Amino acid sequence: MGKILWVDLTAREIREEIIPDDVYERYLSGMGLAVYILYNRIPAGADPLGPENILGFVSGLLTGTGSLFAGRWMVVGKSPLTSGWGEANCGGSFSPAIKRCGYDGIFVKGISASPVYLYVKNGTAELRDASHVWGKDAIESEEMLIAETGGKSQVAVIGPAGEKCSLISGICNDRGRLAARSGLGAVMGAKKLKAVVLDGKRRIDVHNRAEIKRLSQMCNKWVQFQPPLPSGKGAAYVGTLMRVLPVQMAMDGLLYKSLLKKWGTGSMNQMSVEMGDSPVKNWKGTNEDWGIARSHSVNPDAIRRHEKVKYHCYACPLGCGGICTVQGKYGETHKPEYESVLSLGGLCMNADVDTIFHLCEVLNRAGMDTISAGAIAAFAIECYEAGILTKEDTGGLELTWGNSDAVVALIEKMVRREGIGNLLADGVKVAARKIGKSAGEYAMHAGGQELPMHDSRNDPGYGVHYAVEPAPGRHTIGAQMHYEMFQLWKVMKSLPRVKPLYFKGRKYMADEEKAEMAAACSKFMNVVNCAGLCMFGAFLGAKRIPTFNWLNAATGWHRTPEQYMEIGKRIQTLKQAFNIRHGVDPRSFRPSDRVMGKPPQTKGANRGRSIDMEKMISDYYTQFGWDPETGRPTGESMAKLGLRGGEDVV
Amino acid sequence: MSYRVTDPCNGCGACGRLCPVDAIRGEKNSLHAVIRDLCIECGACGRVCPVHAVTDPFGIVCTMVKKSEWERPHFDSKTCMSCRICIDACPVHCLSLSGAASPDDPHGYPYMAEEKTCVGCGFCARECPVEAITMVVSRSG
Repeated sequence: MGKILWVDLTAREIREEIIPDDVYERYLSGMGLAVYILYNRIPAGADPLGPENILGFVSGLLTGTGSLFAGRWMVVGKSPLTSGWGEANCGGSFSPAIKRCGYDGIFVKGISASPVYLYVKNGTAELRDASHVWGKDAIESEEMLIAETGGKSQVAVIGPAGEKCSLISGICNDRGRLAARSGLGAVMGAKKLKAVVLDGKRRIDVHNRAEIKRLSQMCNKWVQFQPPLPSGKGAAYVGTLMRVLPVQMAMDGLLYKSLLKKWGTGSMNQMSVEMGDSPVKNWKGTNEDWGIARSHSVNPDAIRRHEKVKYHCYACPLGCGGICTVQGKYGETHKPEYESVLSLGGLCMNADVDTIFHLCEVLNRAGMDTISAGAIAAFAIECYEAGILTKEDTGGLELTWGNSDAVVALIEKMVRREGIGNLLADGVKVAARKIGKSAGEYAMHAGGQELPMHDSRNDPGYGVHYAVEPAPGRHTIGAQMHYEMFQLWKVMKSLPRVKPLYFKGRKYMADEEKAEMAAACSKFMNVVNCAGLCMFGAFLGAKRIPTFNWLNAATGWHRTPEQYMEIGKRIQTLKQAFNIRHGVDPRSFRPSDRVMGKPPQTKGANRGRSIDMEKMISDYYTQFGWDPETGRPTGESMAKLGLRGGEDVV
Repeated sequence: MSYRVTDPCNGCGACGRLCPVDAIRGEKNSLHAVIRDLCIECGACGRVCPVHAVTDPFGIVCTMVKKSEWERPHFDSKTCMSCRICIDACPVHCLSLSGAASPDDPHGYPYMAEEKTCVGCGFCARECPVEAITMVVSRSG
């Protein structure tokens, strides 16, 4: 049995709720607990920015147990960006803070009459006035709230973007890390909940801590093994090699782990462009437009020169993060992630790394999604190029490719919701609708969610997950590369094996095996997100990171990997049912044509590639027993998972 | 399960002042009580009680230990992986993370930042997944 904390902002009531064991047995914790609560308690058709929406902050089942990589927390709610299931997750120190307060999750409904923050300490919870931090940026607010609550609290907070209900706003912790996707910062802003401030010290009970330690020590040996790597420039040319070879080497997570340990996610900055993984110039460009010579300023070695100390999230033995020294008024910032560098860089053809550092800090402080911000800037530049937006519309900004100053000015306007920035601050889908004309052609999104920096014309698996996930447009669930790194077939013999070397053409065939792989990724990542594990840890491979054994050791269960995957399937089906209940058509998440190679590109790494996305989506739905045409979970598929679809599914 | 304060208590309040979670209540010079739901079993109350009035969760009477003889964490930086679990586990926030160890080792490592605050609970060592912490008597407290 565990507990959650319920906060009703309208009534200003706070209460605890005991969660029965069978909920944990069927949904684990974290993401699973969240979908169980939200599916049952958000009324159909609820306004995402209204009082009926529920915002949940959940920790993971393995957080605090001694399991490595178990430091992710998740925020969930009905997304104002996609109108369906919304989720975002983040590392740092906030996940164990939820557990240390004695809860597996904190759920908030209603709307406060004035800005407040929730403060939880040693078994007491209260709502406090937040008017003194309302309007302040996320980092400044966090520091003020920590100072006024004794100096040791952990804080999840929105910045001005969330306060102004920007639909691309997220929730910030650890001075600039963001749970950025799904626009859930706007939900928090609409509720006038500035922050959740936690100062708990409770012990976290574990069934068998000694066994967890044994498993963690085994896992840590793989993490600390570090083979020699090429220079940053050499890494870029590895991407070139991967592009020109007719064969593909299955990606081993041990290699990716080594890149992360040395450089962080920025290790892929140039490599990804070279191999065709990173979209360029709002998805219409190619690696030829953003080659090694032009993008050398974002080479991982160039970024690393700014790094003054490595940054580890809670329970992470890897430490892919870093704190960087930067020029300008901020002085330092979190090391920019690959996604941020490429969305604010290559997608806008912006090669000025100083502006990328600056914008990352501006967006972290605003509490705004860097992926979406870059994607919106690229969208606006293309609209400007096409004459749909004029200099008068932009307030005098020359929105041309590679105009770094204009990109900075545009995004700062978005943060302030000023002029053209107000038009763009709710994402490309909303902006395209408001602009009209042919703007929709340039809006790269899935169901309203701006797309990450992984090109489905290079790895169609990304495209599938952009389209089929109940929270669409995600790069953190599955892809061919993800499946290869998860190595799930090593612990579940029924799953398709991947050969160490295969012809590239194999990757683009829309066959049933791809659907099996995609479904396995979705189910597994649900388990990972229930556990509170980091995806980068899961990339180590199923034999090296003992996800399922950790879960058994933490709970005392004796479940097989297949039984855990069944829970992942139940969660995925309930998320899909959530969307159906709220009137979302799953097929509407199909990404923009350009993203699927329609028409195919005529040059560059992905030339001539067009993805049969319709079939791949249908095949994926079939894997879950959902209607292959509509994506609706059938009664039979729900019944097999013990889901009745009523008010209480347990 | 929790610690308990029993009859020999003289109400000196030493336990209450040290308890990191404010789980001990009572008037001065009268019998104190531990709030079970709040107690995290750090044992600080037992180590500080001068009249042996505190029992542990198994009912065993705790022995007072001079503060200078309390065990405190010693870190093995070669084994430590900078995961920060120990810092989170500490109920009195006496541990902190250093800056980069050296130009060749850009990781920060945990260290005892506020030794006087440490209650010697050993939670940091208990939770360290790679056994990089041992509890030793430093005789400097």
